[in-house]
Amino acid sequence: MTLDFSVLHTALPRMIEAAGTTILISVLAMVIGIAGGLVIMLLRIAPNRVVSLAALSYVEAIRNVPLILLVYWGYYVLPILLDLRLSAFACGLIALSLVVSAYTAEIFRAGVRSIRPRQYDAALALGMSKAQMYRRVIIPQAASRVLPILASVWVSLFKDTSLVSVIGVHELAYVSLEIRSSTFRVLEILSTMALIYWCIGYPQAKLVDRLHRKYGAKE
Amino acid sequence: MSEVMSFPILERPKSKGQSPMVTYNGVVKRFGAFTALTGVDGAVYPGEVVCLIGPSGSGKSTLLRCTNALERIDEGSITFDGSPLPAAEKDVRAVRRRMGMVFQGFELFPHMSAIENVMAGPLTVLKADKASARRQAEQLLDKVGLAHKADSLPAMLSGGQQQRVAIARALAMEPEMMLFDEPTSALDPETVGEVLAVMRKLADEGMTMLVVTHEMSFARKVGDWIVVFDHGKVVEEGPPDVIYVNPQAERTRNFLSHIGWHE
Amino acid sequence: MVDFMTDLSVVYDNWRYLGGGLLVTVCLWVSAVVLVTISGILLAVARTYGPPWLVRIVAFYVDTMRSTPLLVIMVLAYFALPLAVGVTIPAFPAALLALTLEASAYACEIARAGISSIRAGQMSAGLALGMSKAQIIRKVILPQALIRVLPPYGTLVAGIGKNTAVASVIAVPDFLQQSTVLSSQTFQPTEIFTSALVIYFILIFPVTRMIDLLYRKVERLGRS
Repeated sequence: MTLDFSVLHTALPRMIEAAGTTILISVLAMVIGIAGGLVIMLLRIAPNRVVSLAALSYVEAIRNVPLILLVYWGYYVLPILLDLRLSAFACGLIALSLVVSAYTAEIFRAGVRSIRPRQYDAALALGMSKAQMYRRVIIPQAASRVLPILASVWVSLFKDTSLVSVIGVHELAYVSLEIRSSTFRVLEILSTMALIYWCIGYPQAKLVDRLHRKYGAKE
Repeated sequence: MSEVMSFPILERPKSKGQSPMVTYNGVVKRFGAFTALTGVDGAVYPGEVVCLIGPSGSGKSTLLRCTNALERIDEGSITFDGSPLPAAEKDVRAVRRRMGMVFQGFELFPHMSAIENVMAGPLTVLKADKASARRQAEQLLDKVGLAHKADSLPAMLSGGQQQRVAIARALAMEPEMMLFDEPTSALDPETVGEVLAVMRKLADEGMTMLVVTHEMSFARKVGDWIVVFDHGKVVEEGPPDVIYVNPQAERTRNFLSHIGWHE
Repeated sequence: MVDFMTDLSVVYDNWRYLGGGLLVTVCLWVSAVVLVTISGILLAVARTYGPPWLVRIVAFYVDTMRSTPLLVIMVLAYFALPLAVGVTIPAFPAALLALTLEASAYACEIARAGISSIRAGQMSAGLALGMSKAQIIRKVILPQALIRVLPPYGTLVAGIGKNTAVASVIAVPDFLQQSTVLSSQTFQPTEIFTSALVIYFILIFPVTRMIDLLYRKVERLGRS
C-alpha cells in the first residue's frame, strides 16, 4: 500500500477553508447558545413553577439525547414543524445552539448559586442597591468561576460541529470525507483531517487547563 | 554538641543492661532548602516511653516519620534492632511491620468498619486467615474499650473513638514498638483523656513507645525519657523528674514557661 | 404546526427492525462502559503513580482525545486503521474501539481527580502498617476515590450512551441508523425521529439518576 500525499495539493486548501466553516459554526453556536442559556437560566429561577419546570424539562431533554439525533431532527423535522425552508447550515446551527444553551443555563445557575449568601448581605449592608450588588459583587465572582467551564463547553462544541457533516454542511469532516471518496486516498486524507482537528483542538484543551488552574474556585 | 545536655547512660533507667531498639546517629533531613533535622543523636530502649517535646516545627514529627522510613534521611543513620533501616522500599516494609504508628488525623480507612480497619493489617500484610484476624481484632477493640462499636463506620465515631480504633489497628500487627505522632492534638478536650488512658495502659504493659506530644502531664507521668527539640536539634534530654522540675537548658526553660507548665 | 405525529403506526409496525437497532445500541453502550471503566482506572493509576515517561504518554493520549472529535476517531478506526495494519475491522468493533478510546481519556481524568482528593495521610497509614504501595492503592485509595467521583462518572456513562449514536456514521446498525433508514424509506421523519428522541431519553435519563442515587447512599464511605 503506497502513500501518495500529492493529492493534498488540491485537497488541503479546501480542507482548510472547511475548517474555517467549522470555526464559524462554533463561534455562532457559542454566541447564540450563551444568550439562550442566560434566558433559560432566568426562566429556571423564575418564581412561576410552571415556567421553571418547563425550563428544567427542556434542559433535561436536551442533555439526555444524542446530539447527532438532534441534528437529524433539526434537519428533517423542524422545517416541517415551523413550515420553513432551512439550509443545512441553519439546521445544524440551531441544533448546536440548543445544546449549548441547555448546558450553559445550568452552568450559569450553578455559578450564581455558588456565591456565598453572606456576600449578598455584605454588599447590601454597605448600602448597595440590588443592581449594584449584582454588577459589582455577584456577577464578577460568578463570571470567574464560570469561565473555565464555558471554555470546556467551547472545546466540546468545536468537536461536536463535526456531527453536522451528516446533514451535508460543508465543514471540515464533510469536505474531508467527500475528498476521500472521490480520490480514494483514504489514509492520507483522513490522517490530514485528524491532524487539522488536533492542531486546532490541542492548544484549546491546554488553554482550558490553564483557565481551570487560574480561575478554579478557591475559597 | 556543646548545646546538648545529655545525662550519662547509667542514669537512664530502662537502658540498664539492654541494647537500644532504635538509634539515631547524626540524622539530617532536608525538605528542599529547609533543614528539618540538623544532626540528631539519640536512642530508644526496649520498654521505654520516650516523649519528644518542643515547639511546632522543631522536627519532632519529622524524626518520628524517619524512624519508620515514611521519610528518608539525607545524612546520618537510623538503626532498628541493631541494623540500619534498609534502603529498598521492599525491605523497609518488613521493618514497618514491626512498628506501629498512630497519626494525628487518625487516618482510619473510611470505607471499612472499625473491626475491618483493625483487621486490615493482618489480612493484607500478614495474610492471616479471616477467623483468627477477627478474633484478634475483637480482643483489641475490647482492650481499647470499643468492642460495642466493632461494626461502626469511622464517620459514626467520635474523634477519641476513632483514635482508639487506630491504636487497635496498629496493635493488630503485634509491633515491637509504637510511634505516636501527636495522637491527641486533633481531639476535643473531653476525648483526649480516653486516648491517653489507652496509651498509659500500653506503657504499663511494657510497650516501647516513641511519642510526639504536647500533653505535658502525660509525658511527665508516663514518660521514662524526655527529649526536647528545637530547630531540628535535640536541646536537652533526660528523665521527666529533671526536665519538668529543673531543666538545665535555657531553651527548655523558655519552652516550658511559654506553654505555661507548672510543676 | 398541524399533522404532527399523526401516524405513529410506522413506529409500531417496524418495532422489530427498530428493536434490533436498540439492542445494538445497548450492547455497544454496555460494552463500552465496562471497557472504559477498567481502562480509565488503569490509566489514572498509571498517570498518578507511574514513572515519568508513562505519565507523559498518558497525558498526551488524554489531551489528544480531548482535542479530536469522536466522529473523526470513529472514521479513522473503521477506514484508516484497517489500511494501516492490514486487517479489516467490522463496523461494531471499530465503533466500540473508538468509543472506548475517547471515553477512557475522560474516565482517566475523573478517576485521577478522585485519587488526588484523598489525603496523603491515608497512604502513610497504609505504609505504616507495612502494606505495599500496590496494596494501598487497591484497598484504600481506589475504593474511596471511585466513590467520590460517582457523579461525574454518571455523566460520563450517559455521555457514552449518547455517543453510541455516532456509530451510525460508520453504518453500525444501531438504533439511530435503523431510524434514519426507516425514515428515508417511509418518508415519515417526524414520527420516527421524535420517537427516537423519546426512546433515547428513556434509555439515558434513568441511568444518570440511578448513579446519583447510588452516590447519595455510599457518599460517606468516601469521606476521610
